[in-house]
Amino acid sequence: MTGVTVKDVLGSLGLGILVILVAVSIFAPQIAPYDPHDTYKPMEHPSSEHLLGTNDVGNDILSEVIYGTRVSLFIAFTVSITAIVIGTALGLIAGYSGGVLGFLIMRIVDIFLTIPRLVLIIVIAAFMPRSIWTIIVVFIIFGWVMTARIVRSEVLTLRSQYYVESARMLGGSDLYILWRHILPNVIPLVVVQFIMEASHVIIAEAGLSFLGLGDPVARSWGTTFHYAFECPNIITSDVWMWWMLPPGLCIVATVLGFTFVGYALEERLNPKLKTVVGMGV
Amino acid sequence: MHYISKLTYYLVIILIILSINFFLPRAMPGDPLAYVLGENPDMPTRMTEEEREMRLAEYGLDKPLLEQYLNYMVGLSRGDLGCSIYYNTPVMDEILVRLKWTLLLTGTSTVIYMLLGIFLGAESAWARGKKKDTGSLITILTVSSFPTFFLGTLLAIFFAANLDLFPLGGARIIGASYANPFEKALDILHHLVLPAATLIIAHIGGTYLLMRNSMLSVLGADYILSARAKGLSERYIMNRHAIKNALLPVVTMAALTVQFMIIGTIFVEKVFAYPGVGNLLYDSVLRRDYPLLQGIFLFIAISVVIANFIADMTYLWLDPRVRDE
Amino acid sequence: MKKQKTVITLVFAALICSAACMAFSVTALAEEDNVAATDGDRIVRSVGGEVGTSDWRYPAPFTFYPRGPGYVRMSMLFDTLTWKDANGVVPALANGWRVSDDGKTWTFYLNKDARWHDGEQFTADDVKFTFDYMKDYEGEFTWFEAIDYVDNVEIVDDYTVIVSLNEPMASFLVDIAGNMPILPEHIWSSVSDPTKFTGDDAVIGTGPMKLVEYNSAEGFYHYEANYDYYNGKLIVDEFITMGVSNAAASLKNGDVDEATFWGSAVDAVNEFVDDDDFEIITGPSFWVLQIIFNCDADKGYPTNNVTFRRAIAYGIDREEIVEQKLHGGGVAANTGILHPDAIWYNPDCEGYAYNVAEANAILDSLGFTEKVDGIRQYPSGAERSGDLKFVLYTTGKYLREGELIQAQLEKIGIKIELTPSDWTTIDSYLRDAEFDMVISGHGGIANPQIMRIPDWPASTYQSEEYTSTFAEQEVTLDFDDRKELVNQLQEMVAEDLPVYTLYHPYIWCVYNPDVLDTWFYTRDGICIGIPIELNKLIFLARYGDANENGKINMQDVTVIERMIMELDEPTDMADANKDETINMLDVTCVELTILGRAPIRCE
Repeated sequence: MTGVTVKDVLGSLGLGILVILVAVSIFAPQIAPYDPHDTYKPMEHPSSEHLLGTNDVGNDILSEVIYGTRVSLFIAFTVSITAIVIGTALGLIAGYSGGVLGFLIMRIVDIFLTIPRLVLIIVIAAFMPRSIWTIIVVFIIFGWVMTARIVRSEVLTLRSQYYVESARMLGGSDLYILWRHILPNVIPLVVVQFIMEASHVIIAEAGLSFLGLGDPVARSWGTTFHYAFECPNIITSDVWMWWMLPPGLCIVATVLGFTFVGYALEERLNPKLKTVVGMGV
Repeated sequence: MHYISKLTYYLVIILIILSINFFLPRAMPGDPLAYVLGENPDMPTRMTEEEREMRLAEYGLDKPLLEQYLNYMVGLSRGDLGCSIYYNTPVMDEILVRLKWTLLLTGTSTVIYMLLGIFLGAESAWARGKKKDTGSLITILTVSSFPTFFLGTLLAIFFAANLDLFPLGGARIIGASYANPFEKALDILHHLVLPAATLIIAHIGGTYLLMRNSMLSVLGADYILSARAKGLSERYIMNRHAIKNALLPVVTMAALTVQFMIIGTIFVEKVFAYPGVGNLLYDSVLRRDYPLLQGIFLFIAISVVIANFIADMTYLWLDPRVRDE
Repeated sequence: MKKQKTVITLVFAALICSAACMAFSVTALAEEDNVAATDGDRIVRSVGGEVGTSDWRYPAPFTFYPRGPGYVRMSMLFDTLTWKDANGVVPALANGWRVSDDGKTWTFYLNKDARWHDGEQFTADDVKFTFDYMKDYEGEFTWFEAIDYVDNVEIVDDYTVIVSLNEPMASFLVDIAGNMPILPEHIWSSVSDPTKFTGDDAVIGTGPMKLVEYNSAEGFYHYEANYDYYNGKLIVDEFITMGVSNAAASLKNGDVDEATFWGSAVDAVNEFVDDDDFEIITGPSFWVLQIIFNCDADKGYPTNNVTFRRAIAYGIDREEIVEQKLHGGGVAANTGILHPDAIWYNPDCEGYAYNVAEANAILDSLGFTEKVDGIRQYPSGAERSGDLKFVLYTTGKYLREGELIQAQLEKIGIKIELTPSDWTTIDSYLRDAEFDMVISGHGGIANPQIMRIPDWPASTYQSEEYTSTFAEQEVTLDFDDRKELVNQLQEMVAEDLPVYTLYHPYIWCVYNPDVLDTWFYTRDGICIGIPIELNKLIFLARYGDANENGKINMQDVTVIERMIMELDEPTDMADANKDETINMLDVTCVELTILGRAPIRCE
């Protein structure tokens, strides 16, 4: 019994974290004490005016991190939603219609899965102008693959199920069958996949920004961390506590939120599914 | 038959990777010459039209695309990855001198995190549902949520900067004179601890969960039940039967995790200024040394493909069910 | 089935073994020859130069990375004819020198004790060979291009050479004689592809240090003392320049003994102020950050109007940028580009102190009167219309300065669209004059030669007066005359504002004096203006108390003076005295130089 409870606790905990973070990003202008681009005296220690001090150009760090929630979550959700939609569509096509198109899609999937994704992303990002759209596009290009593959194999199983067969025999159109019978069964998988992808994007985007390839204007947590890391006295003084720890812990909290929710959902929705959690970066 | 089709498939993938590498700089906005010559914002240079054309010719960038492509392929077949802008030396040389450090770091970490992951995963599954299982599961899920660079920085702050137990970075004391090789190995090991620990903590989650899942399904299998019925000791069953049988997916995954390991290494080497290929990748991004960047990408991508190929082959050889699928 | 599992176990075991073997073999591979240091040796570890980069390529004359930190790593091994210390030019391979009245003939008296690292004697042949070699391989030596000035080199005897120039060159003593590494003829005469020449032979010079190991992967240079050094007694046995992940932390941990900090790293430097274990010296970086305007007559509207540029100059608060970005670790720039600490600095340039009212008045007078949401509008009939808006390009490095400027200019009704880009792209915009404004920085602003167009990024600036003044100063030998011309150049820049300079960062050297305490900053920078503290003279005993009040004490002057006086060819000197009137003046001149009065003048 304890196992089930723990899972529920973790799931709700994760959900709680995510809800808070989403709320923070939506209400960033109301929550943040300052505009993250306003400048004050640089390198201030925490005080009642600046709860987390100021950074090297005098931006309020707390406000920067709060607005960073917006940037990081925006990238994560935009990428994973788009990637999931594309992946599901391609997976459905590949699984349901099979044939040359299906074969082609699956070959592309295999190739994408074999190429080390983040290394190629780093290389592409180095060639492109630094902006959050660059990051979003590059992540989408590589993000749909896993979903397509999982959806396809599920469709292959479903297609041979008796109710799908009978629906077809009764003359249901392909589109109707896909929509009515297959998609609803694929949705749980897709939801889990969405969570995995979002958590992966959070951590990968942070990594990319840490390497100095993030958007320097719309500062995500990773970018804030990057600037903190570059600060020459970051570890010889206490500065890291208020400049490095907050964005770092935000990344951890988000990933943990996704992981817990994913973990709780996963076995509930599909006990057979074994996704490897925490292998993002 | 299967072997041959697998081989063809991997060759095609390599060809695709090579082509991506070729077309990437040419498809990007901006001056292709800039990608060969690099940039130096601190020493701006002006080129006249003639100089430009001369340079274009020098790098063969004035030729038709197809001819450039062929030249590129011919060069690659000789192991020629081009010349680094910054170092002005063959890209391959720069990679090779750093490779030993990266291999040392990844090799050590892989061995430890695999063993530890298998051990903890097996223990956890064995104690399924108990406090021990839940505790280690939550702990491992939590530490796995740390980005590698964050984890590394925290370890550096605590164990190097504050406690001064380990060096802040580097692979060994530079300019040290050692009394004997043992002392030197110790020094290298001393420098290896924090980067390796970071990689191990960051990667243990995957193996742990896989082993735990695999073990759980094995523990429900008939032969384990019959072993229990025979009255064999729990420890004996676990060691003798369960672990062995649960290992198959983990072994297969080992090769597939190579790419995650390499990516983790980039961050760890950056944080600890460890002189490996990952740090070189970071530097080449910073210096916009495109030929070097591409060379490293190619090197990593092909290593990963080869690792996958070996994994696939092993899997085929080991598991007849896959062969007959 | 059971057999199968055994196989898996075996495979797994093999995997582990192979990985372990790999690890061990690699450890063995890492085995390299080290110089065994004996106890009591003084080993100095330095993170000198630039933070973040420690590898400046192989330190041979044709392979080092052609920027300051690369050059100094080579200069440890190779001496030049002259060199500089905290107060100006000092002798190196040349004990003394003199120049003819027309400034075209330079005679160098060489040091007779100098030997190459391999034991061979250094002679005038090597000097002539080097000049000829540099001319032959001019394109390959990317560090400088001035060798064209040299016509030929004549050997008078084993220790005297005469260098004839095509035209007078004011900066010859520093820019060529104090810059060109002298190569050993017996090695380089057979080298036909110098840029590929590396290895033990390629690093045989006459310098105070010999190369033990250069490691590109780990980014370090390991030198050992050349105890036979002709130029004085060495106090350092081994010297290492290396990279670390965090310079301040490595200093505190004792991993390194000295490190360089720039600009905003003042925060890190401040942590050492109260630390008795460390000492700090501050230097000028000879580096400037500036806004480049598009002055192109056709494409540059409205920045091609000098009055408009002045409005922007008044509208930018440089002090705020220094405070916000550098945290006080620098000074607001001299609008005439050259650094306030440089001998060539013109203090009378227009400064454009921050003045919003003035900026607004100018913009109003230019017709940008109408405002929408606080942003000025182009007057009707102008080349552009709508918001007075500019694209400001910068590399990621100076984005934060860009943000500050953006906010400042908005106060005078100018909208800035900040666009981070890579330098290659920006460079192509500069080349084609397809830009409004660019933020960019460069070093070397102790040396007037940096103001040459188009090396200097203000390539859209067209002024015949500027070009001719620049050309004239290049051939003007008289210090005061040349200074006057250089002053005019600076005034022109300040007046016409092809670029608007923002700030000069400071540079610091934080060091552990117990290990070495001879660190100093070179007058107008090492060689042609390298601002960092890695001057090879720190290894010499006579610089032992160089840091007391930042000057070399008089005893040192006497040493150098004595060296110059003790020229080994008294007859030669006597002869020189007869037909030219400058022999003794020479000594005085160098002496003056040492005293810091006139570093480059010698006539």
